[in-house]
Amino acid sequence: MAQSPQDTPFGTQEAFHTAFAELYPRLVSYARRYGATFPEDIAQEAFVILMQREERVEHPTAFLYGTVRTLSLTERRPMKNQNISLEAVAEPGLAGGADDLVLNQEVRERMRLLSPTFREALWLFVVEGLSIREIAEILSIPEATVKTRIHRAKAQLKDQLNPTGGVHVLV
Amino acid sequence: MSWSDPARRFEPAEDVELRAELRDLLGLGPVTASRVEEPTAELNALADDLRREAQRRSRTQRKRPTWGLLAAAALPLLATLAGLGTWGFHQKERADGLAAQAQRQEQELTRLASTHASEVAKERQAKEEIKQQLQLASRKGGRKTEPYLVIPVEKPLKVGGEDYQRVKQPPQQ
Repeated sequence: MAQSPQDTPFGTQEAFHTAFAELYPRLVSYARRYGATFPEDIAQEAFVILMQREERVEHPTAFLYGTVRTLSLTERRPMKNQNISLEAVAEPGLAGGADDLVLNQEVRERMRLLSPTFREALWLFVVEGLSIREIAEILSIPEATVKTRIHRAKAQLKDQLNPTGGVHVLV
Repeated sequence: MSWSDPARRFEPAEDVELRAELRDLLGLGPVTASRVEEPTAELNALADDLRREAQRRSRTQRKRPTWGLLAAAALPLLATLAGLGTWGFHQKERADGLAAQAQRQEQELTRLASTHASEVAKERQAKEEIKQQLQLASRKGGRKTEPYLVIPVEKPLKVGGEDYQRVKQPPQQ
């Protein structure tokens, strides 16, 4: 269904302003995590691409995240970027600045120890607050796969907290 | 309500619980609405600029070709293909006609050759029969009916006494 010129992907003008104010910094941070050189440009380009679409986008937030991810990977690895995970391309120096905005050192360390594939799904689910369906759209994978990755990330986090596999005992 | 509020996305309760559990494992704490940013004038202006840019691109970008344009573009190609098809069909018809004619000529030649061969065979057979008859006739005409040589002599009708002479036997020694 085509949207009228007055409508925005998020509804009214005010709703669009609110969504933009909330999403834009997060998208900039997300692009920075992929090591994008110009994360602001990528986030703005994602909004332009979203509003340029004639067909109505069912999940605009997922569309924006997916576009930022694609643009960031394209900027960084123009030729072979299709199957690269979030942390596989993010250099520590570049990604660290983005993490500092949201996560503290301890959380960053726990995330860093996770498998890159699981870390990407976990980041989108927990830190970005996206739903399973939105993450599936962003990563172009089935929802069941997203759930599997998140549960495996959870298992890895539990292993980090209890590396010996024993039972925690209060002394 | 924040865009990141799970209630806004109608998430299942198990997903909400899972997110809370994971946040707890990471040490992030529960989801709060404190991070919601209010739209500022600067952000609103940027959003409007981006929207105008999207509208400008939509106006200036090359539209996707419609079916009519595609059909018009494909018309010369279709005409060429149709012409080639017609020409090829005629060529095939002509080749088939020539092939049939050649086949007919070959059949006629084969028939003539077989007729000629049979006539030659008949002629040869007749010649052989005549030859055999001639040989037979020549055999019959060249020798007598008797199988021995007969020298005709004039014999006296009856043997007379004077016709022979007794010859004494020579004295014995």
